[in-house]
Order: sequence, then C-alpha cells, then structure tokens
Amino acid sequence: MAASARRKEAMGGDAFAAALMVAPAALLLGLFFVWPFLRGLWISATRWDGFSAPVFVGFANYARLFGDGLFQGALINNLIFVALILVFKNGFGMGLALLLDRALFLRGPIRAAVFIPVTLSFAATGLLWSWIYNPVFGLLNAALDLAGLAGLKRSWLGDAEIALYAIVAVDIWKWLGFHAVIYLAGLQTIPAELYEAARIDGANAFHRFRHITLPLMMPVVLINVILGLSGAFVRNFDIVQVLTQGGPNHATEVVMTLMVKTAFQDGNMGYASAMGFTLFLIVGLCCVALLALMRRSRVEL
Amino acid sequence: MAAPAPAVTIGKAASVPMRWRRRAIFGQSIGELVLVYGLLALVLIETLYPLIWVLFGSFKSKEEVITNVWGPPTQLLWSNYAEAWTISGMGARIFNSASITAGALLLLVLAATPAAYALSRIRFRGRNVVIAFIVAAMLVPPQVMAIPLFMTARDLGLVNSRVGIAIIHAASTLPLSIFIMRSFFLTLPMELEDAARMDGASRLQTLWHVMLPLIRPGIALVTIFAFIEIWNDFFLAFLLLREPSVQTIPLGLVAFFQQYGSMWNLYFAALTLTTLPVIAVFLLMQRHFIAGLTAGAVKS
Repeated sequence: MAASARRKEAMGGDAFAAALMVAPAALLLGLFFVWPFLRGLWISATRWDGFSAPVFVGFANYARLFGDGLFQGALINNLIFVALILVFKNGFGMGLALLLDRALFLRGPIRAAVFIPVTLSFAATGLLWSWIYNPVFGLLNAALDLAGLAGLKRSWLGDAEIALYAIVAVDIWKWLGFHAVIYLAGLQTIPAELYEAARIDGANAFHRFRHITLPLMMPVVLINVILGLSGAFVRNFDIVQVLTQGGPNHATEVVMTLMVKTAFQDGNMGYASAMGFTLFLIVGLCCVALLALMRRSRVEL
Repeated sequence: MAAPAPAVTIGKAASVPMRWRRRAIFGQSIGELVLVYGLLALVLIETLYPLIWVLFGSFKSKEEVITNVWGPPTQLLWSNYAEAWTISGMGARIFNSASITAGALLLLVLAATPAAYALSRIRFRGRNVVIAFIVAAMLVPPQVMAIPLFMTARDLGLVNSRVGIAIIHAASTLPLSIFIMRSFFLTLPMELEDAARMDGASRLQTLWHVMLPLIRPGIALVTIFAFIEIWNDFFLAFLLLREPSVQTIPLGLVAFFQQYGSMWNLYFAALTLTTLPVIAVFLLMQRHFIAGLTAGAVKS
C-alpha cells in the first residue's frame, strides 16, 4: 500500500519533469511541423499569391491537378524516377554487398571508398556531373571517344529523351554505397552454417542466393526500399534543380521542382501547396503499404 | 543527406563472430577471387575517378582542362585555389555554413536528449501519442511542406536569417534524432537509474549525471547524421537564404558555377576546397559512422 502511494506521488512529480523535458522539442515540432502542416492544408484550399488576402476555393486546386498536363508530366517523371531508383539502387546495392561479402582482403577500405559520394552535397555532386555530362569536354563523351563509340556521344542533359535517365544515374551513383553498406551488414548476420548445409545438400550458388540469402534479407530489402522511396519521391529537388532546373522543356520536371516554380515564379501558393499534399499522400500510402508488407514478412520468417 | 535508417533496435549487428567471417577464406577458388576483385575494381573506378578528376582539374590551367582531359596535371597551379577563394567569396560561405551547422546541432542535441529520455523512461499520459507522432513525422519529408514552412518563417522574420535556418534545421532533424536517441536510452539497464533515484537524485540530476555519460555514442551518432544533412543542405537554404551574404557553401558553389561556368579549373578548386574536409572527416570517423548506420537498419 505504502509503496503504491509513494509510486503515485512520484508519478505526479514525474509528469512535471516529463513535460519540462519534452517542452523544447514540442515547441520546435509544433512551430515547424504541426503548424506548417495544418496551415498548408488551409493554403491548399485557397487561391493566394502569398501577399494579398487568400480566397477560399475548397477543393478546386486539387480538382485542377487532374486536368493539368504539366503536373501529370511531372508526376509521371517522378514515378519513372522512383521505379528506376528502387530497382537499380537495390539491385546494384545488393550486388556490391555480395561482392564485398566475398572479399576479405581490403573490405573495409573499399567499403569506405564507395561510401564517399554519400557524404557529398547534392550541389557538389550535381555540379561534378554537369561537367561529366558536358557535351564539349565532359568526361563521358571523352570516354566514348576513347572507346571508339563516338556515335553514342550526345548532350546528355540537353536531350529531352535521355536527360531524366542521366539524372537518375547520378542519384544512383551517389547513393549506391549507402545501400550496399546496409545490405552488407544484413548479409553478415546470416549464419555460415546455413550455407554450408546447403552446399552439402548440393545447392549451387544461385540456389543458395535464391533460397537462403534472399528470404533472410527480405526485411533489409524492405528497409532499403522505404529509405529509397521517400527520398526518390521528394528529395530529388536538389539534384534536378542543380542539373537541369526541370528542363529541357519540362523533360526532367518532377513534382517538387514544379511546386517551387508554381509557388515562387507564378506566385500561386494555393495550387503549389495542393501539389505538395498530393505528393505527400502518394508517398504516405506507399510507406504504409510497405510497412504492412514488412510486418507480414517478419511474421512469415 | 544520408537518410539514416529508422533505428528499429540498436544492436551489435556490425560485430559478427569471426567464425562466420572465416568462410570467405575457405572455399574460394582463384577464378572467383579474380572475378570478385575485378568487379570491385570497376566499382572503385566508377566511384573514385570523377573525384580524382576534380582534384587533377583543380591544378590545371584553363586550357589544360580541355587539352589534357584524362591525365594528371603537367604543372601544379596552386594559384587556382587562391583565385577561386577570392572570386567565389568562399570564406564568408564557409563561415555561414559552419555557424549555421554548429548552432543547429547544439539546439538539436539540447532539445532531443531530454525528450528522448522522457519518452523512454518516464511514464506519463499521452506518451504513446507523442511517440506515434514522432514516427509519423520521421516519414514526412519536410520538403512537401515547403510553402507553409516558408510562410511561417517569413511571419517569424526568419527568412535570410542564419539563426532562423539553424532553428528550422534543428526542428526538421528532430524526429529522427529523438527516435535514435530513444532507442539508445532503451538499451541502458534500469538498475543504474533506480540506484540514483534511491539516493534521492531528481529526474534532471539522473539524466545529467548518470545517463548522459552513457548515452554519448547515441549523441555522437545523431550529431554525425545531422551534420551531413545540415552541412550539405541545398533545399532549405535555397528556400530561405535569398541574400548572398548569408548563403551557405552549396548555394555558393551553384552560384559560382552559374557565373563563371567556363572557368572549370577554378571551379574544381572551389569544389575541392569545400568537399575535401568533409571527406577527410568521414574517413577518420567512418568506422563509427558505418557501425551506427547499420546497427539502426539491421536487427541482429
């Protein structure tokens, strides 16, 4: 009895201490997360240039998105971006991790080296690649000359047909090491005994990968996909802005770049906010679906 | 940024018994070794050559960049660095980046540590709601709220302000940081704390004297991730820092490039000057960095 009374008393004091400890974080998150989020919802329901009085228009901004060819083009580019990045970052990342797992000698230094691009800023990465892609004296065209493939030379970022893929390649280059390092850590948690048993049973390398590595790595794959997903949808503003600003003729426009243009060049805050929230909704649904998948795959394992 | 993995459990995933690692030595044929190291060499060239090329280019003359595309520079033009430093105004940019990053990291650690402690150790009403909110906020990229965020910053007078962007950086890295630190607190044994409480220490005293020394690896991990994110940030700076005098390194690089696009050698010098220190810091701390990253992503 006495103990529980004392506990209750301690709890009262604790509630105050807890409030005190959470207060600074709550203030920051309230001001710069919750408030902008709610305010953005309101802005997206108005027609507003950012200065004069906003005019309430209900869902008109969202309805307009359905008929906006520019937005749909940006969304399709965004989806291409996401699909390619998820496939290649995970495919190459897993491949590189398998190589590193086999390489005992120099594994640490090589792992560190492939991680270097992750630490570079998008500004530096983008500018480095805008030079590699330079049609006149860029590294890529020079390499094609050297290899006797001069016919393949082109203006990599100026050609509307391939500019988007050129940007995707840069993003894969930057993040490959990040995903490889996570996959490598996952591979190293798989006990060698499983592989030895399979080898004794006569399983070849492909079968061992298919039936041991892949199933055991599914949670890690899902983490990598989730990490890549929100990045590929939203964090592509920097790289696109630095390399092409969405050009040529909107060929590399993604939702984020279009949103910033709509807001700060066209002065249409309401419509731009609606774009942001639509993107948020798409990313959110994908993340929820993946998390559900992740939970299920854990149970199956 | 290097979007760090949502820390599911902080375990010792990175340390794997030697017994398991041994297998890499046994059962590998010469052919397999050649294949593995051949492919790894290709990856290394693909990763490092562009960076080495920038270093080479930073010492070349403007003409040599075009005439001698592949090779190392024939003479070392150190003057490129001095010239790039003067033209680009890099000194001011470096100062801006350093002060913004330092301020944001300080605020971040000061706000995240007590919150993570309270959310892991103290039972209070609404705790689970707060935790759920933190997880949700982790998955919302702040970029989708760019417009209302800009408006809020404008109303508070935080546009074109180094203090302002530092505060917003701290807020946007806060959810993930609280989450990581909380999982560190959860790994600490309760007994330590109970002993301190028995001796009559208050919650704040317990946090400061008992828990803080033990949580240092967590603070280090959060600081490293947030450093990379904030130091490299382009988006928030693009949105909020319109005045050249308050702009950071990434904005400075882009502006320099747009203005002096044809002076590649100077541009390479500016790029080398601003990225080499970050690469050096990473290489010095890479063991901790990678261990922290993988411990978060992979359950042992």
